[in-house]
Amino acid sequence: MLQENPAEQKRHKKLIVIWSVTFLILFPVLIALGLLMRLNQGEVFKIDPGTFYALMTLHGLGMAGVLFSFSWAALFYLIGTRYIKLNIGLGYLVYLLVLIGTVGLVIASLIGKFAAGWYLLYPLPFKGVSWTGWSTGLTIVSLIILGVAWLLGSLHVVYALAKEYGSFSNLMGWQYLGKTEPEKELPSIVLITTASLVPAILSFIVGAVFLIMNLMQHFEASLTFDPLLLKNMVFFFGHTLVNVTMYCCVAWVYVLLPEFTKRDWKVNKVVVYSWNGTFIFIMFAYFHHLYMDFVQPVSLHYAGQIASYMSSIPATVVTMFGLIVQVYHAKIKWSIIPMAFLLGMAGWAIGGFAAVVDSTMSINKILHNTLWVPAHFHTYMLLGVVLFILGFLFYLAHNNKEERDAVKPGLGFWTFVFGASGFLLMFYLGGMKSVPRRYADYTGIDIGNVHETGALLAKTAGGFVIIVLIGLLIMYGSLFSKLLKASK
Amino acid sequence: MNLIVPLITVQNFAGIVSLIGAIVVLSVVLFLISSASSYEDKHEVKEKVYKARKRYFIGLASVAVILFFSSLQFLPYPKNQTTPADKIVTVVAMQWTWKMGEGVSTLSPHDFVGTNEITLPANKSIQFVVSSMDVNHNFAIYNSKGDLVAQTQAMPEYENQLYYTFPEPGEYAILCLEYCGMPHGFMTGKIHIN
Ligand code: HEM
Ligand SMILES: [Cu+2]
Repeated sequence: MLQENPAEQKRHKKLIVIWSVTFLILFPVLIALGLLMRLNQGEVFKIDPGTFYALMTLHGLGMAGVLFSFSWAALFYLIGTRYIKLNIGLGYLVYLLVLIGTVGLVIASLIGKFAAGWYLLYPLPFKGVSWTGWSTGLTIVSLIILGVAWLLGSLHVVYALAKEYGSFSNLMGWQYLGKTEPEKELPSIVLITTASLVPAILSFIVGAVFLIMNLMQHFEASLTFDPLLLKNMVFFFGHTLVNVTMYCCVAWVYVLLPEFTKRDWKVNKVVVYSWNGTFIFIMFAYFHHLYMDFVQPVSLHYAGQIASYMSSIPATVVTMFGLIVQVYHAKIKWSIIPMAFLLGMAGWAIGGFAAVVDSTMSINKILHNTLWVPAHFHTYMLLGVVLFILGFLFYLAHNNKEERDAVKPGLGFWTFVFGASGFLLMFYLGGMKSVPRRYADYTGIDIGNVHETGALLAKTAGGFVIIVLIGLLIMYGSLFSKLLKASK
Repeated sequence: MNLIVPLITVQNFAGIVSLIGAIVVLSVVLFLISSASSYEDKHEVKEKVYKARKRYFIGLASVAVILFFSSLQFLPYPKNQTTPADKIVTVVAMQWTWKMGEGVSTLSPHDFVGTNEITLPANKSIQFVVSSMDVNHNFAIYNSKGDLVAQTQAMPEYENQLYYTFPEPGEYAILCLEYCGMPHGFMTGKIHIN
């Protein structure tokens, strides 16, 4: 356990407040890009398609990057202030690198018009017509910088934890699988952090190789690679990153929620099995992104469906039921913090369920690359990860239990949840109507009434996004000043 | 019966199942919120919840296994295609149109010449041999109601075999379902079925 050191605590607090303010500024800006996209699809105004896809690319990379970075930073703060000593200098280095990488992405997409989508689907980055050659290079380099930042950050946390708890197997909780209880307790946040960040580290390495291959081709055009291999690599990277973001958030819910329910949420055998299972499933589920690549060996498609189905077991049987043990008849004051955590779990469950439906090969053959896909991942991002982050931010902004119990989920919070739900519903309906994803607008679709339906749903979604932004703004009213004050 | 069958599409199935899932989750959440105003000792709660958890686990595992195996009936992949298709159509995707022609092509995707409109028979099994001459695309067939009915990736250096039997005469559209650059949304084709 960590020796309390007020000066060190203060430095940690300062860093997390810097991260928080950065997040709170970037998040609505990235939502605004989403709003522009929806309104363009709704034919409320017209952006040229080259710009649309540049905004889409920036929105996707920006959101995924910012949310993962923040989730990691929150873990860095909680672990560094409560469990073991972490290197704050390294924390700042990660922040700086993430900032540089983000600026690079912004320049590449807004000025260079880079628009190959978040996934740089090989060989599209080299065969676009609407963006400049240098913006491809800048995007690749910026992503490498982000990757290095995340790799450093994750390696540092895992390494420091391994030093404290003895070994990797101890971090994964294997000492709980024997007959006797281990002498030294393993905090659940440590187990979950390990089960998330280790797959993340593997995915960053694969992502780095993918990016370096792209960089090589950028400088030497005669060099080409196997498109199926690179497709596998980029989805392994992207899928893992997004899943890990969710699990990092769950890690802090395991520590913070018990402060409101006054019931501990400890590691035991079942919890260990659960997170060890998750560790494996995260890495194999990504095959569901390649179901429509009929040349990929069918056994890998099966692996994708099995891993995707299996991942619902630890998530619901252990974490959701753990949550029920936490809150059922627990006499909680429903302040915004436990409420955000509870609803975040619901968002995760609902989005995750829609994801499992789509991870069925026989269903994916119809829903693949329709709006069903953004529907489910936006659900667990916007009503899962983002709610967990908001809960964490409100926790951070108040310094003691009384204050934390007193901030009620007010108008801003419910406006946000309402707007987000409406926005998501339009995506789901679009998926059911076979409206394709990644269409700048639907005017080129000349069959059935896909065009009209797609545009109408998009316009309606745009209205809901405005409600989301209003909700955020109302919440910001109290959040910003409190956060800054709390860091003093 | 004739009214019901068209409603049971994969899209509707996915939508209804997910809606039920969402309703269950939200009911649990509402129940939890309201339950939390009274107090019970943690150990008693644990005992009750763990009992429910065991039942849930067994239920979930059985449902997952059943759904897994029953879903295998509808796989999109060509099974050991012992009976050859009635017709073979070569499809080459390019930025930003489709080249289609009957028969197996011996030419490279680049040299292959085809049109983005084709006429095919109803109720005959068609084998589409799909590839691309530049980037990834996705060959997606929409019926005249605007429902997606079949798709496969169109990839450079690879050939995907998509089998589909058009159930009725009419107009079908082809859309590109993998983002392939600025005019991606306009990369369309037509299939006339008679
Ligand atoms: C209210 C908030 C948000 C709005 C309005 C919004 C809007 C959109 C829209 C319109 C698209 C394009 C959909 C299409 O394919 O037609 C999109 C794509 C995407 N969004 Fe969001 N989004 C929001 C929140 C988020 C969050 C929280 C994340 C977190 C990861 C996220 C990540 C992505 C990604 C990765 C893509 C795919 C980009 C690509 O295809 O390259 N979005 N979003
Ligand atoms: Cu295309």
